[in-house]
Amino acid sequence: MSLPPGKDNVCVSCEFEQNLGIIREIYFFSTMPLEIVKVLAYLCAREDFKAGDYLFQQGDDDGRAFYFVSGRAGLVCSEEDTDHVVRHVEEGEFLGGLSLLGNMPRLFSLKTLTDTTCLILTREKFKKAAERYPEIMPKIIQSVIKGIRDWERKFFLSHAMGCNDCRRNLGVSLI
Amino acid sequence: MEKAGPPVTKRSLYSWVFSDNYKLQILLVIIIIITVLIRVLPLEMQKRIVNEAINLRKIDLLFFYCGLYLAAVVVAGGLKYLINALQTLIGQRVSARMRKELYGHILTLPLGFFRKTQPGMVVSSLITELAAAGDFAGNAVAVPVTSILTLIAFAGYLVWLNPILGFVSLSIYPVVLFLLPLLQKRANTANKKRVDTTRDLASKIAESITGIHEIQSNGAFGIENRKYGDLVDKLMKIRIVWNLYRYGIKTSNNFFSSLSPFLIFILGGYLAINGRLELGALVAFLSAQEKLYDPWKELIEFYQAYQDSSVGYYRTMEYFDFEPEYALEPEDREPYQLEGSIEVKDLSFTVEGGIRLLDGITFSMKPGENLALVGFSGSGKSTLAQCLNQLYKYTGGHVWIGGKEVSELSKRDIVYNTGFVAQAPFIFSGTFEENLLYSCMARNRGSGTADRESLPTLDEMIEILQQTGIFVDVLRFGLNAFLVPDQDEELVYRIVRVREKFQRNFGEALADSVEFFDENKYLYYSNIFENITFGTPKREVFGEGKLLRSKYFRQFLEDVDLYKPLFDLGDELAKTVVDILGDLPPDEIFFEQSPIRPDELDGYKALVDRLRKRKHQEISSEDKEKLLALALRFTPGRHKIAPFSEMLENLILESRALFREKISDFDPEAVSFFRKSDYIYSQTLMNNILFGKTKTGAPHALEEIDRNIVQVLVEEDLLETVVKTGMQYQVGSKGDKLSGGQRQKLAIARTFLKAPPVLILDEATSALDNKSQARIQSVIETRWKGRATVIAVAHRLDTIKNFHRVAVLKAGKIVEIGPYDELMAGKGMLYELATGKR
Repeated sequence: MSLPPGKDNVCVSCEFEQNLGIIREIYFFSTMPLEIVKVLAYLCAREDFKAGDYLFQQGDDDGRAFYFVSGRAGLVCSEEDTDHVVRHVEEGEFLGGLSLLGNMPRLFSLKTLTDTTCLILTREKFKKAAERYPEIMPKIIQSVIKGIRDWERKFFLSHAMGCNDCRRNLGVSLI
Repeated sequence: MEKAGPPVTKRSLYSWVFSDNYKLQILLVIIIIITVLIRVLPLEMQKRIVNEAINLRKIDLLFFYCGLYLAAVVVAGGLKYLINALQTLIGQRVSARMRKELYGHILTLPLGFFRKTQPGMVVSSLITELAAAGDFAGNAVAVPVTSILTLIAFAGYLVWLNPILGFVSLSIYPVVLFLLPLLQKRANTANKKRVDTTRDLASKIAESITGIHEIQSNGAFGIENRKYGDLVDKLMKIRIVWNLYRYGIKTSNNFFSSLSPFLIFILGGYLAINGRLELGALVAFLSAQEKLYDPWKELIEFYQAYQDSSVGYYRTMEYFDFEPEYALEPEDREPYQLEGSIEVKDLSFTVEGGIRLLDGITFSMKPGENLALVGFSGSGKSTLAQCLNQLYKYTGGHVWIGGKEVSELSKRDIVYNTGFVAQAPFIFSGTFEENLLYSCMARNRGSGTADRESLPTLDEMIEILQQTGIFVDVLRFGLNAFLVPDQDEELVYRIVRVREKFQRNFGEALADSVEFFDENKYLYYSNIFENITFGTPKREVFGEGKLLRSKYFRQFLEDVDLYKPLFDLGDELAKTVVDILGDLPPDEIFFEQSPIRPDELDGYKALVDRLRKRKHQEISSEDKEKLLALALRFTPGRHKIAPFSEMLENLILESRALFREKISDFDPEAVSFFRKSDYIYSQTLMNNILFGKTKTGAPHALEEIDRNIVQVLVEEDLLETVVKTGMQYQVGSKGDKLSGGQRQKLAIARTFLKAPPVLILDEATSALDNKSQARIQSVIETRWKGRATVIAVAHRLDTIKNFHRVAVLKAGKIVEIGPYDELMAGKGMLYELATGKR
């Protein structure tokens, strides 16, 4: 855990406004009315991590969604004592939206490669907001469905046709 | 013990009138009889005053009769008050009793009932709808007895005075008695129509509000106005009819009642002129006849009240008219102390529509054995767990615990011998300790002080807190508590010692996550007030909330040029918070980053409304004070909804030294400044140990701070004291000040503390992280091994490897059961569940 020197993480233009700008751009929340986005932006918290910190570890059900304000991290899959870096997560990326919706033990670990600042929303806070505004759930579900479909279409077109093994395991969008 | 009788929902309205109130009701009737007799006396006096005293010119008789008259009026007045008092007493007793018994009954209803019932319905039934029935019960004897006796007494007196006149003036009442029910019946019909139409109207309004987008985009105002207008017109007509009948009842009653003086004047006048009736008798007759009206009116009103309240009462009772599925108490014996063996044979559970949720379940467990239930969702594993614990009543087959059939055991037997942890456990408002002892207190029946002795000790509670992994949380609650000056001198002294040690050992290492109090730095995690004063007000007039009324402090803010910027900050904070949180429920989680507390939100909402409508100079001084108070609470590190300029920061920092200087001149005892050697009462225990505040909510940083604090507290032998303080933490309504994980751990802890021979865990660790889950798993495998029979519905398969056996459910049936390794080796359903391969 580290904080920048001097004024720590207190900003002059207020953090809430910056968070609001970020949340509005995230596809997962983008279809929501402004008053709900405001509440979510308010409920988010920034957290700083040092290089090498784990944001979550494989098997954890931490129930948090991350937006990378700055820094990079590696998505790691551990199999019998060996770690494989699956891919990198870059500044401006959002991940973990699904774990806001329900229990989701992580299939990967997320480990920072540089000092990193994340905007974090927890399942508990998200659920409270969803209880107050039940109308957001159908929209979120639509975003999730679209996300899954887009993902599979992209994957199918770019890789799977050329690889027999992959082709046999296709069909996430058919869940 | 409960006395046998019909269930509360089957009782008639009149049964409440007498139950428990026999003596009061008899006393009431006696007083009523006396009152009625006394009320006739003035009439007789009237007659005698005119006929004997005045006519015969006897002064002494005049005084005597007038004295009697006065005495009768005074006594009757006093008794009337006594009657009212008794009526109220009886009415309120009945209301209270109805509420308690119905509530008691509702709590025991089968779970299925609550799935179909809105909590609001129960609330309004208990609070509003029974009130009318209670009031009625208070009047149920008094009003009819009073009215009828008064009627009879006056009627008798009339007949005694003059039989012909008497019978003539009474002749109108049978007519009314005939007419009234006819009219009332029609009024009732209209009333029912009114209720239905009002409901239609309400849903029409709700519909148009929901569909307002469509109405506006289509410009369909005409269409909607017509639909709404039709309903309003219909309601209008019904209400006119209804009211006409109601007034018809009143008017015809009045009409007939006033007919009777007319009859008396005609007939009585004729008789008096002919000398067949004394003038005094005619006066008395007219008075007595007039007095018939009041009791008659009361009787009519009573009749209407009876109609209304009995409709409400029976409708309410019908709604809750279900039987509990199990006896609450064992009959004529103490609760069984069962050994933990479980035998399940051909168990089935069928719900409405013939759906079989469980089908032919058979297995058995020896005491101390443990079993994991797994399966896809919907396979019936939770239902099975709930059937074992009487939460559901199985519809076929058998479950024996300790050799006793579960469906024949009383609820208390089950409470004594089993513990159940639900997936989404419920925590009640109150302290952490009350919730921790909830199961034990319930088992020991109620909360009387005598039960305290048989409750677990602090050591036992701490042991359980550690086992369930919530110890550190409770410790943190304790660390977040405030001490009261002059109460814990010893503790205060020791905390200051802990502070020194903590600073020495960890001060440097924690510099990143703790902001230590430093006189020369702006404190981003302390509020503006603390930043200005760098201390705690000791004088009452400088205390929070009062400070702003002190001219001294306000003048100070003006002098250092802080008044205007702080006012502007308060204005911005109020507007922003109201904008973001204005529509949200007063839930703790929404207010963590807000300088406005949940209970203040409505006040600030109104204030922001006023700010929008008025110009700056028109703002009342009270509102200005509120805005300033908000600004003084602003903590830039926590409240990230408003910007905080460097200029303001510097101004505040400059004012700090000035404040210290000035206040020391003005009143040296007013403020105690933050010093390393002094305990700070306005700060939590934690902040006192840190001599600063944590900068972060990040779990990993907090854990490190906790670890270090625990180490120092252990060394100073203070851990137990702090935990004890933490147990007094108020968990909030529904436990909303606890996280989901904390609620689940607390629920496990309260069941562990009860230590029943059979423990049923229904996905009890689903909200916990891996580490906490593993900890609880290991407690089950070690501490409970052999001591309790454990059945755990598992949502994750990595937790069940060490269970004695695993049962895999599919579509309500056990498809395989056996030790984990055997089942995995057999490559059956468990293998499929665990690996996802067929």
